[in-house]
Amino acid sequence: MDSILECRGLTKRFPGCLALNAVNLSVAKGKIVGLLGPNGSGKTTLIKLINGLLTPDGGTITVSGRKPGVETKKIISYLPERTYLNDWMDVRTILDFFSDFYADFNRAKAYDMLQRLHIDPGSRLKTLSKGTKEKVQLILVMSREAQLYVLDEPIGGVDPAARDYILDTILSNYRENASLILSTHLIADVEKILDEVIFINRGSVVLTSSVDDIREHEGKSVDAMFREVFRC
Amino acid sequence: MLGKLIKYEIRATQRIFLPLYGLILAFALLNRLFRAAAPESAESLSLPINVSAFVNGLTMMVYVALIVALAVMTLIVTIRRFQRGLLGDEGYLMFTLPVEVHSHIDCKMIVTLIWTVLSLLVSALSIFILAVDESSMQRFSEGCLRFRDFFRQYGASSYLILLECIVLFVVLALMDTLQIYASIAVGSRSARHKLLAGFGAFIGFTVVMMTVSSWIFNSAVGYPSGWLRAQLGNLARGLAPEAAVELALGLLILYSALFGVAFYALTNWLLSRKLNLE
Repeated sequence: MDSILECRGLTKRFPGCLALNAVNLSVAKGKIVGLLGPNGSGKTTLIKLINGLLTPDGGTITVSGRKPGVETKKIISYLPERTYLNDWMDVRTILDFFSDFYADFNRAKAYDMLQRLHIDPGSRLKTLSKGTKEKVQLILVMSREAQLYVLDEPIGGVDPAARDYILDTILSNYRENASLILSTHLIADVEKILDEVIFINRGSVVLTSSVDDIREHEGKSVDAMFREVFRC
Repeated sequence: MLGKLIKYEIRATQRIFLPLYGLILAFALLNRLFRAAAPESAESLSLPINVSAFVNGLTMMVYVALIVALAVMTLIVTIRRFQRGLLGDEGYLMFTLPVEVHSHIDCKMIVTLIWTVLSLLVSALSIFILAVDESSMQRFSEGCLRFRDFFRQYGASSYLILLECIVLFVVLALMDTLQIYASIAVGSRSARHKLLAGFGAFIGFTVVMMTVSSWIFNSAVGYPSGWLRAQLGNLARGLAPEAAVELALGLLILYSALFGVAFYALTNWLLSRKLNLE
């Protein structure tokens, strides 16, 4: 099967901590994959390695057959858990910025989403509330027609009512044949949209499975399975 | 892509520099106008003369404060744009753009150089506004004549020396900026005391540069039997004075550029291989 992401023996160390321990992983094209694990399990480290924000200490990682670099950044649309918006642009300028740097940025789609969320394109980023900033970032990321979307805790900071809206936005905007990796520890909320799950704990992959397999063979929901695997 | 990065970097920084430039020129002009108008207006308004002296002093003080602020802001903006714009949360956006890591360094240092040159030009223009009168214009034109004589006397050599001076200024400005970038990049490796570590790195780099420079200077000048002195002596022997100046400037450019390249390589290595955003 054609894969968008391949990790072989992927290892990352930080002083006094082994963040990823020889991770082997393959993510097929066209799938929605949940990267699930408790806090500090290595989810964000893996996501930073995919995006070239960290360099591996061992093993290999490839996105569409290439090591992370300029070419992979062209095809990955990444939503970090941090707010990366600067304080001097307005919403319109950051849209221009994205369309200047990403050939796959669909400006019309972005303006359409802004309108539906009642966000004024003339607003200064500095003056937006935290929640609105997160929405703007989600709009920027989902307005790209990327091959791989990597979303780090996209629903972590919002209230349950907004979660469904965000998941709908993700689902209705992600391109067919594109892949989506979504990291979260709020499993019940995302379970319904996932095709596959990767359970990660203390830097190691402990389970990779399709959601259907978990339901059929284990007779459990992903949430129940997660609670069983990660029981304290 | 470098052009696009530069475009946004200029837009991010112009909101700080352009108003400062405007204020500096405005206060230079104000001070000039007050001085020109002071004696008459004081009489016609029957104001005590010390009021106009006070206004003169005040505009001059604000002008000087603005010039100092410009110098300080240039340094602060250089540090903050690199620290916050690349190594803070904004780094998540910048380092996932499809551009090479070195383009970020190129962009920041080019834009810093542009503002440094513009700041110098604006300062010079403001001094011109403040000081220009008949006698200073005469001295200025005399200076220009002397320059013309110099160019006539030394021909092509004088143009080369002028060019070398400009290149030396650019290389020194870039080297200083890159020393700051390398220090911030080293400081960012520290888990807790980034600012302190960056400051320490800056001092460390300065000590290394001074040690190397004093070693070279001692070898060239201090010890008559030094190897470098002999080499330089061989190089300079039989050279015309202007050729010796050309050579000395050339060596200075090369020497500064070597440090600049070292800082650039270190910064690029740290940002591309050792990046670890919080």
